[in-house]
Amino acid sequence: MDYLENAEEAAFRMGVRAWLAENAPKDWRARYPTEDDLARLHREWQRTLYDGGYVGLSWPVDYGGRGLSATYEAILNDELGKADTPRISFHNYLGRAIFTYGTEAQKQRFLPPMLRGEIQWCQGFSEPGAGSDLASLRTSAVLDGDHYVVNGQKMWTSGAQHADWCILLVRTDRDAPKHKGITCLLAPVNQPGITVRPIHISDGSPETCEMFFDDVRVPVTQRIGDPGAGWRIAMTVLAFERGPADVGLIATFQTALAKLETYAEERAIDRDPQIRQAIARTYVIGEVLRLNVVEQLSLRNAGRPPGPDGSVARLLLTQAEQALRSLEFRLRAADAVSGRAPDVLANYLRSRTISIFGGTSEIQKNILAGQVLGLPR
Amino acid sequence: MRAVPTPDQEMLRETMARFAATLAVNSPAELAKIDRDAAWRDLAGLGVLGMRARDGGVPAASAYEVTLAIEPLAGALAPLPLTGALLAYELLALAGADAALLADLAEGRRRIGLLLAPDLAGLADADAPGAVIFDGEGADSVLALAPGNGGAQPVILAVEGAAAMEGADLTRPLAVWRPGAGAKLVGAPLAADAFARWAAFAVALACADLVGVLRDGLAHAVDYAKTRIQYDVPIGSFQAVQHMCADMLVRIEGAASATRYAAWAVDALPAADALAAAHVAKSWCAPAGEAAGEMLMQVYGGIGQTWEHVAHLRARRVMLDRLLFGDETHHLNAIADNRDAVRKAA
Repeated sequence: MDYLENAEEAAFRMGVRAWLAENAPKDWRARYPTEDDLARLHREWQRTLYDGGYVGLSWPVDYGGRGLSATYEAILNDELGKADTPRISFHNYLGRAIFTYGTEAQKQRFLPPMLRGEIQWCQGFSEPGAGSDLASLRTSAVLDGDHYVVNGQKMWTSGAQHADWCILLVRTDRDAPKHKGITCLLAPVNQPGITVRPIHISDGSPETCEMFFDDVRVPVTQRIGDPGAGWRIAMTVLAFERGPADVGLIATFQTALAKLETYAEERAIDRDPQIRQAIARTYVIGEVLRLNVVEQLSLRNAGRPPGPDGSVARLLLTQAEQALRSLEFRLRAADAVSGRAPDVLANYLRSRTISIFGGTSEIQKNILAGQVLGLPR
Repeated sequence: MRAVPTPDQEMLRETMARFAATLAVNSPAELAKIDRDAAWRDLAGLGVLGMRARDGGVPAASAYEVTLAIEPLAGALAPLPLTGALLAYELLALAGADAALLADLAEGRRRIGLLLAPDLAGLADADAPGAVIFDGEGADSVLALAPGNGGAQPVILAVEGAAAMEGADLTRPLAVWRPGAGAKLVGAPLAADAFARWAAFAVALACADLVGVLRDGLAHAVDYAKTRIQYDVPIGSFQAVQHMCADMLVRIEGAASATRYAAWAVDALPAADALAAAHVAKSWCAPAGEAAGEMLMQVYGGIGQTWEHVAHLRARRVMLDRLLFGDETHHLNAIADNRDAVRKAA
């Protein structure tokens, strides 16, 4: 049992920190004010990071990665969070589908450009009628020669307005049991028959998208895995959604909490016992999350792939972020409600999505009850 | 960074789990059936009582390994004064007590409990009114701090005339200490860092006990939910019951993560950082223990409210662990003070 970084890891951290001091974009929120600007910035930033050798740390060398352990991803994300850099694509976990289930040709075609930031992905899983019950999805793909013809609608395809490719779950067999008739396809977003529309969430921002598919032709060569293997692929990929990236969120979380303390001090409410306890309690949730994630990463490095107990970290993350934003809102409620602090209101409203997106808290608890505790259906 | 137990540490846990199974308490009536003296001899034989014996200043086992040893015993609800014995040993070793005394403790020939302040948040001064003896079963004396000494100077007090208290925890009885003659300074006063490290160790052990009690409790409650039939189906198939169990799991796994780190930190980090890790662990464990203790009793329904059932034994043991070496208010305040100090220094 050892939580300390070894000499190589510590040296890597120092290297990242020095490199970021030189290369991280300065003052980027002011310089890239619109959403389109930000999308451009994310792409540029990922390329800069890639050229610096900092993208795909835990990906195999053969596909443009560095072949290091997940610990290095965590260190990088921690430093990115502390340096308050722009984010990079949070969708690279989707590449796990191609890496685990794709052909050699597919891996060569998609993985290196993904790491270089030239291919941005979006995730076409959920549908209007298939949210928590993902396996009931109805978007259809019918084989026509060497193409699939796709028709239907996808929801919550975050980043689709700026994405190049979409990883799609489609129904290819209506007669099979619902988990067995699903297939995984890769489709370019910008092609005839695909319409992307923004979905504005409760703070008014176009946080995510819906996509419409109208006779969209997808070559069979862009199928990942066998027909009917889509459900298994989706479950593998979703398990990778969490992990090292969470470490970056924790760094951001601690920065936001420190800002809140400074605010409390400036307003001379920092001696209020209730506020002191609430801030300390929020800090504790963040620390417990961090320690749980560190252990999960260590298990992954020891050769255990991510499993259903990842839902523990997911629920802790939800609790931490919502506790932070609720506390921020509580301390600045009058400013938020009267329009003097729109960011506080937006942060609060956005934090409410965390217990929904990527699997609701109720679904996470179902996973823990069924797959970890073994309670009956 | 490799925050997973080594194979040796896994083996230690398994050994202790097998031993703990022989001491399992499944109802208040079973408490009387445990041969506590034999169990103590076994603990000595397994080397548990001397886990913190120093060889060239280095403890034989890490604090993390000590938590691996005590967790299964807590899970079994073993009625043994082990936490107090290990902490007394640690304090005496840090104070440089003589080898003969330490050997007597490690080999189980003699037991020394702890004298705690009335709020159970820390060691008592030897003259503190209303001080409470913790884990004093079978002990001829308790460890306290010499009053007005300025530093942490351990002192050994005879326990003659102590009166048992009707405490919440039926597995680890407390007693009121009656001041008497025979206070004896032992070793040298501890440096502030050494005492902070001891305090961090104390918190880590209280948290580990709480985690052990709850983890086994959850396993048993889940087993019950799989077999208890109502409306012709196992109650564990109801989402309300499932989510209650999942809630417990998240609280307990969070507690376990924080406790493992705090225990590891006792030996591996600077004293201030070790204490900070302990503050985090107890701030999470204390309320998690309260909530999970209540939920454990809830899963069993009516039967879980009865005296004969084991559920309240677990809830009761957690009540003591929650207060032992400070509850969440105590530790959250310490965190707030630390963060103030760091901010003002920046």
